[in-house]
Amino acid sequence: MVKKPVKFGKLIRRTIFYLFVTSLAVVILLPVYFLVSLSFLSTREAYAFPLPIAPALKIKYSMTHGERGYLLSVYDSFDGEYQTVLDTNELEKISEYMRYQLGAPMSIPEIEEQISVLESGTDPVEFSSRKNLWLNYSTFFKITRNALPALLRSLQIAAMTIIISIIIGGMAGYAFARYTFAGRDALKFSILFVRMFPGVAIALPMVIILANIGFYDRPIGLSLVYSIGSIALTIWITASIFLGIPVTLEEAAVVFGATKFQAFLRVTLPLALPGLAAAAMYTFLGAWNETVSAIILTQFNPTFSVVVYQSLLGSVGQVNLAAAGGLVMAFPSVVFTFFIRRYINQMWGGMTI
Amino acid sequence: MATLEMRNVTKQFGRKVIAVNDFNLKVADREFLVLLGPSGCGKTTAMRVVAGLEEVTLGQILIGGRDVTNLPPRKRNVSMIFQNYAVWPHMKVFDNIAFALKIKKMPEQEIKKTVERVAGMTNIDMLLDRYPSQLSGGQQQRVAVARAIAVYPEIFLMDEPLSNLDAKLRGSMRTELKAIHDMTDATTVFVTHDQSEAMSMADRIVIMKDGEVIQMGTPDDVYHHSASIFVADFIGTPPTNFLDIDILTENGNLRLKNQFINLKLDDNIARALHGYNSNKIILGIRPENIEIIQGKSADLSAACLVSEPQGSHQIIAIQLDKKMFKIVAPATPKFEPGQAIHLRFKQETLRFFDPESTLAIEA
Repeated sequence: MVKKPVKFGKLIRRTIFYLFVTSLAVVILLPVYFLVSLSFLSTREAYAFPLPIAPALKIKYSMTHGERGYLLSVYDSFDGEYQTVLDTNELEKISEYMRYQLGAPMSIPEIEEQISVLESGTDPVEFSSRKNLWLNYSTFFKITRNALPALLRSLQIAAMTIIISIIIGGMAGYAFARYTFAGRDALKFSILFVRMFPGVAIALPMVIILANIGFYDRPIGLSLVYSIGSIALTIWITASIFLGIPVTLEEAAVVFGATKFQAFLRVTLPLALPGLAAAAMYTFLGAWNETVSAIILTQFNPTFSVVVYQSLLGSVGQVNLAAAGGLVMAFPSVVFTFFIRRYINQMWGGMTI
Repeated sequence: MATLEMRNVTKQFGRKVIAVNDFNLKVADREFLVLLGPSGCGKTTAMRVVAGLEEVTLGQILIGGRDVTNLPPRKRNVSMIFQNYAVWPHMKVFDNIAFALKIKKMPEQEIKKTVERVAGMTNIDMLLDRYPSQLSGGQQQRVAVARAIAVYPEIFLMDEPLSNLDAKLRGSMRTELKAIHDMTDATTVFVTHDQSEAMSMADRIVIMKDGEVIQMGTPDDVYHHSASIFVADFIGTPPTNFLDIDILTENGNLRLKNQFINLKLDDNIARALHGYNSNKIILGIRPENIEIIQGKSADLSAACLVSEPQGSHQIIAIQLDKKMFKIVAPATPKFEPGQAIHLRFKQETLRFFDPESTLAIEA
């Protein structure tokens, strides 16, 4: 068989297409890679110039006698040579430096062992230690003491927001889809109005209202505030889903012995699951990621997003720690999205109604 | 297994739309009754009222003598077959059929037996663990039928169950539905807009228009003794031919005359018009009641416009004053367009209608 020559115009079009797709992928993936890589960098690496492309897995040391005691040098793979970092005779200082600056901790007895090698005549002594990649993560939770409770609190808020908005928004969506009443379309449209107000703009009245009903600085207060927006979104998503489920399916259930509620529960609800899952996903992401209102509406019980935000500021502020915190924050969103994806997939052709 | 009675049932939507108006109907036990009418005539609404899917505005519904007017659908012991099948897409065929039985809390063993029995009756026993999306339209409708039989209903309601099927399948499903009706002993109300479906299936046909009953009777009744122009036109393919006619009296004989025909009525036929006191009338004659004859003594002569061969017979159209006039004739002899045709009407089949009221004139 003779291969057909590829036409020139087609070649050009393909090249442009793949260039476009590749650059799109780079634009999306590069920042993610940057964040992941940053979260594994030691503090010394994170503030080096140029920034390493990937975190080192092993740190090579070289030690010799210095003016004040021992002179510690670290191998720099970019320059290809050792760089002196410390000159001290306090072993705790060396150990601490290894832990916090280099992320490759060695215990004092281990350091003493290398020193004895140095004293025995090998000068300089060279040795290495494995880097603890997860150090930033554990450090983040150690330094920001409220991070773990905040994480649990954020999960709690997201869960409550989902429950509130699926129940209220789902019922409203069903009503909009199934019943005709005066002003239905106007009402359905006006529901979107609540999403027009930025959180900051209504924050002050919110603080006052929540304080009055005793919900200020409490998870329930935040989930109520988040529900306002996500109920509107849920109504729109579920209304269109319910609209797509033929009424006759419910009517058939009613004729064949079901009550109206049973018909909803056993026929309409399972069919609406993809839509409800999509609504739940948007609600989760909204509640989980929201920061501005959370900063204003909490004081001693911040959400996780607030904690991550605060870790960027003040004395704690280390980019690698913030990156670790950011990834911890991104993780549940990714997991939740993947978990719910299969339900949403049903909506796009997995099942025909 | 039960009679159905609708007494003065009226269903009104909103303030203006009256879908069913003062509807009275008695369906006998085990009868196969067809509600027939053009779309929007209220036939489906009448059925939905019986099912309990719509509440009546006025009137009463009795099933087996029991007043069910205010009962929810599940307490009426009816089952229904829907036009778009309405099988539940997220349940396997087995669960679709078993749905009602599970709600009734029938023991599992018995459910299995019932489902297998009705699946056998409808020829879907190999499909029980498939999802509806894996079935063809005809198979889905069988599932709907099986589901409807499984509950031992007193009344079977069928809402245009065949109109979503292709023509060939429709024909065979017709026969099957009729057979199932005979097997189950249930009283059946069947809604359709297809008059040939109604003619072939019904014990009795109710013809509806604008929410009211126009005529009620056996297929033969409504075909041969159509009560109005509407019925005569709606029933039968091709429909009844109509002619505007003047009545003349000549030597004591009645004559029907217009620009095309001049017909002397036989005495026994003319008797039907004795009570009628106007000289304008509409004559109705069915296409198969017209004979093609040779020459002279024809009631009507015209040029053939088009001939449609049907194999067993042919349909010949002629044009009279811009109106199409059709004749069902034997397959031979053939006629060319433009060729002269001589026709004679079978007088005993002539139907007369009052041009004012459009109702049939009976002796």
